[in-house]
Amino acid sequence: MREEKKTPIPSSKRLLLILSFKMVFSTWTYIIFAVATTVTFWIVSSIFDQLLFFYPIVIFYLPDDALVGFILVNITAIILGIVVSMNIYVFRHSKMKINITSFFSGSSLSVISSTCASCSSLGFFLISTLGAAGVTASSFVSNYQTPLRLLSIALLIWAYYSISSKITKSCIMNSSNSSK
Amino acid sequence: MNSRYYFNDTSAQKSDEQIKNLSLQNLIKNSSPFLGNMSAPITIIDFSDFQCYLCNRYVKNTEPIINQTYVQTGKVALVFKHLPNRGFDSMGAALAAQCMNDQEKFWQFHKLLYANQKPIDSGWVSKENLKKFALQIPGLDIKQFDSCFDSEKYKSFVQKDIDLGLSSGFKETPSFIIENSDGSNPEFLAGALPFPSFKAVIEKKISGS
Repeated sequence: MREEKKTPIPSSKRLLLILSFKMVFSTWTYIIFAVATTVTFWIVSSIFDQLLFFYPIVIFYLPDDALVGFILVNITAIILGIVVSMNIYVFRHSKMKINITSFFSGSSLSVISSTCASCSSLGFFLISTLGAAGVTASSFVSNYQTPLRLLSIALLIWAYYSISSKITKSCIMNSSNSSK
Repeated sequence: MNSRYYFNDTSAQKSDEQIKNLSLQNLIKNSSPFLGNMSAPITIIDFSDFQCYLCNRYVKNTEPIINQTYVQTGKVALVFKHLPNRGFDSMGAALAAQCMNDQEKFWQFHKLLYANQKPIDSGWVSKENLKKFALQIPGLDIKQFDSCFDSEKYKSFVQKDIDLGLSSGFKETPSFIIENSDGSNPEFLAGALPFPSFKAVIEKKISGS
């Protein structure tokens, strides 16, 4: 009986993550997407966190009390760049549809929770728009900034794992189809 | 006293008269707490909330340098205005602080509250805790303070500060008006800006005056 030649399948989850990362970021386009997303998110977060000012002078300022938040924002920005870029890769290369639920509960929720962690500076807007509910919402996002940011990082890591699985799965399916 | 408040913005109409009445003389006459020399050519009006962590950032990092560089040298007077918009307990803190101003203890109380700031509406500026903070102010007439605080003597005063903040277009705390001491040439700044941002505006005004 002839032995069937099987495509080697990475067994560990870590290999899957590395393989999908290499597949996506071997192309400059996706590196550019990732960098653009990271930089945009970093700038927006720094403005919301009142670390970056454009008036009366352009200045970046990092006081001691903002250090932890700044580190978490940097981590979020980097993972977000990677995840968004990988989602674009899947959208362009795969016949599979992006799982909307996964995308929204992963990337988008991460952006919302991370941005909202900084939106305490919009207290007045929330209060004038929503009254007492706005006060509660505003104080919640202010008081729980760090846990919200940690949650957003956890969601992004989950989104990264989820999209990596999709990329490598479609690759394995393609390679097994082509070997027939 | 109702311990829970949030302000309404029904009076957020732009009032030119309010803006015109922002001379240092007028602000002091109307019982606004201030630091510095009455003849200082520049006035910084600070709109803050004692529960706001960004106001605390400004108080810890920027205000001491402004004080040392410009207030102590007689170039700038610093005026405090209340914009208690961060939580239900913010109005109580503003009322207590304004009562402190009756006995010229506002800045001591201001320093004490910011040094002990806790999460918004966690009860750290409840009516009871505000009275405990008051006990820590040396030389304060507690009876006079309690009477002022319990009767909400400055409720309409604080509401006027809020109206002024809103009519100036401020939507966040801390926010600032930097102007000539006669109230002219106001510049509006929002956020817990670092010292170089204030310096840029103040130096421009000093060199222009």
